[in-house]
Amino acid sequence: MTAPTRPNDYRAASVATLRDHPGVRDSVGSATRTFDAHRRQAFSQIEPEAWRDWARDVKSHALTHLDRYLEEAEKRLTANGARVHWAESADEALAVLTEIVGRRSVRTAVKGKSMLTEELHVNPHLERLGVHVRETDLGEYIIQLLGEPPSHIVGPAIHKSIDDCRRLFHRELGTAPDAEPDALAAAAREALRAEFLAADLGISGGNFLAADTGTVALIENEGNIRLSTSLPRVHVAFVGIEKVVPRLEDVSGFLQITARAATGQPIGNFVSLLQGPRRGGEVDGPEEVHVVLVDNGRTELLADDAAWEALRCVRCGACLNICPVYRQTGGHAYGWTYSGPIGAIIAPALLGLEEAMPLPYASSLCGACADVCPVRIPIPELLVHWREKAVEAGLAPLTETAALKAFTLAAEHPELYRTGSALLRWTPWKLGGRALPVLGGWMQEREPPEPSARAFRDAWKDGLV
Amino acid sequence: MSARERILDRVRAAIGRRDTIDHPGDFEGWRPPPPAGEAEPAPVEAFRRLFEAAGGEVARVADDREAVAWLAEFASSFATATAGATVPESLRPALPGAPPDEAALGVSMARAAVGETGSLVMDARDGRRAQLLVPTHVVFVQEAHVFATLRDALRDVRADLPSAIGLHSGPSKSADIGQIMVKGVHGPGRVVAVLIAGSPPGNPGSPPR
Repeated sequence: MTAPTRPNDYRAASVATLRDHPGVRDSVGSATRTFDAHRRQAFSQIEPEAWRDWARDVKSHALTHLDRYLEEAEKRLTANGARVHWAESADEALAVLTEIVGRRSVRTAVKGKSMLTEELHVNPHLERLGVHVRETDLGEYIIQLLGEPPSHIVGPAIHKSIDDCRRLFHRELGTAPDAEPDALAAAAREALRAEFLAADLGISGGNFLAADTGTVALIENEGNIRLSTSLPRVHVAFVGIEKVVPRLEDVSGFLQITARAATGQPIGNFVSLLQGPRRGGEVDGPEEVHVVLVDNGRTELLADDAAWEALRCVRCGACLNICPVYRQTGGHAYGWTYSGPIGAIIAPALLGLEEAMPLPYASSLCGACADVCPVRIPIPELLVHWREKAVEAGLAPLTETAALKAFTLAAEHPELYRTGSALLRWTPWKLGGRALPVLGGWMQEREPPEPSARAFRDAWKDGLV
Repeated sequence: MSARERILDRVRAAIGRRDTIDHPGDFEGWRPPPPAGEAEPAPVEAFRRLFEAAGGEVARVADDREAVAWLAEFASSFATATAGATVPESLRPALPGAPPDEAALGVSMARAAVGETGSLVMDARDGRRAQLLVPTHVVFVQEAHVFATLRDALRDVRADLPSAIGLHSGPSKSADIGQIMVKGVHGPGRVVAVLIAGSPPGNPGSPPR
């Protein structure tokens, strides 16, 4: 299955997913329900409202003092012996890799799971430079072998069933056609271990950046990020500028709330807290550590007086797991790196509003995402915010614009309203309703209610209500 | 103007017109009170519960002498071993040595542990390869170094940070294949935390006095 490459294709891509790959909805539905059940269980053991208030406030504090904390983080990292780079765009971020690959004669690279490196298209860039790059998270490895992008922030291969994995590993690694997950994982471990030991370069993202110690914090369960950042001679961490928090102590709270929201664990089984390159007296670790602070549209988001709150996101995926729309298709239909509710509210700033359409509309505004967000991002309000911007920019869907214009006209002219409502009451919904835009889709699976015989205004006039 | 200056200028322009928000203070790990009649578990007990729930194993020994005996027994079923740089001589297994990527057993010394999250605090000075490449990982930690909260543990390590700290809270695991949990995907699939009760604090691995 080839994933679309732009959000504009969302409608066609979601139809195609549901029609041509019905197994995707089963796999995604089952995985997201499991993730969500684990989150609920984990949140029942704490006082989640107090945790969420704290997390929201630390992030908002950091974001409203972002210049200060970025400068502090840069100073600390530099003192620790790391090299700090600033990248306004994906091209500038990739240029850092070009320089390193040339200077250190890099032939092979191993990568830990990172959404930012997906956003920047790091892998195709390295391949163009002649570098063999290997995704080492098991889920990322699966989709790299298949040539697909991740379909979920936390579980990149959740759209694949176990049988999909069996077929793939049989073909690529020679495992038995009916091998159990243990045997499949063992085969992947062996293949990837050799790549870890040989790699010249390790690449990671960064979940958090503590300003006071210059610490890049990374969360995982497999150990592949620890290996990617420990074994190769050079480590490059790509970190979004919004990831900075004031103190290493603050990271203690975020490691816990992120893990509980993402997978329901008290903490990821492996956490890396990285300060810089190997020091005198240490027996191993990278000789060279680079931290690339990436903007790539984040300052656009920061400048938006409503949408800046989306920068608090810790990429736990809880809003994807609960979203009734995401659950139908998984992430590929959204056409870019970040899918689901969070993707729909950061796309307009990171890609541009026109390029992001119609993602702000890929939601029923049910509000479940806001209920689960560990940093209290007002996701439904921001979806509406971008819809308003879309209307202002003339980008709203034609049917919606036409329907609202018609309603406005009717609402401003009482006679028209009366005629219109009478007409609606006598419309043969059950016969012709399915042919209508929007309502037709709703009626595919539902019986429309019987309209009352009398208009409310007539009943009111007669003193019946 | 550099990319750095342009980014910082845009940041300042964006936040300059916005109200600043205060830092809310320390993360307190707010939790509902334990059921009536039950006490909050002590940090060592909290660590044991969570580490085991995450798929790890926990052993407790009274002192260094018992730790040595425990290791002799445990290591007897392995062919080769590697040990971290800060592991004292007495706690190195009496097995043929092998590099971390070949050894069957790895032994490390944790700097601390955390009750709240069930984590071992691994210091890069002990050697990262021995902590990550072995299929079975034994980690010694002094009970006196078990912190109640992760916040307190990070506050403690902050004063003396190596290039990397690893928090290990169970075995390497993944559910990426069909949402079925498998262990030992990249790092150790079996991890045993050995809590040493009797040693004096501040001097990990020292012989009992």
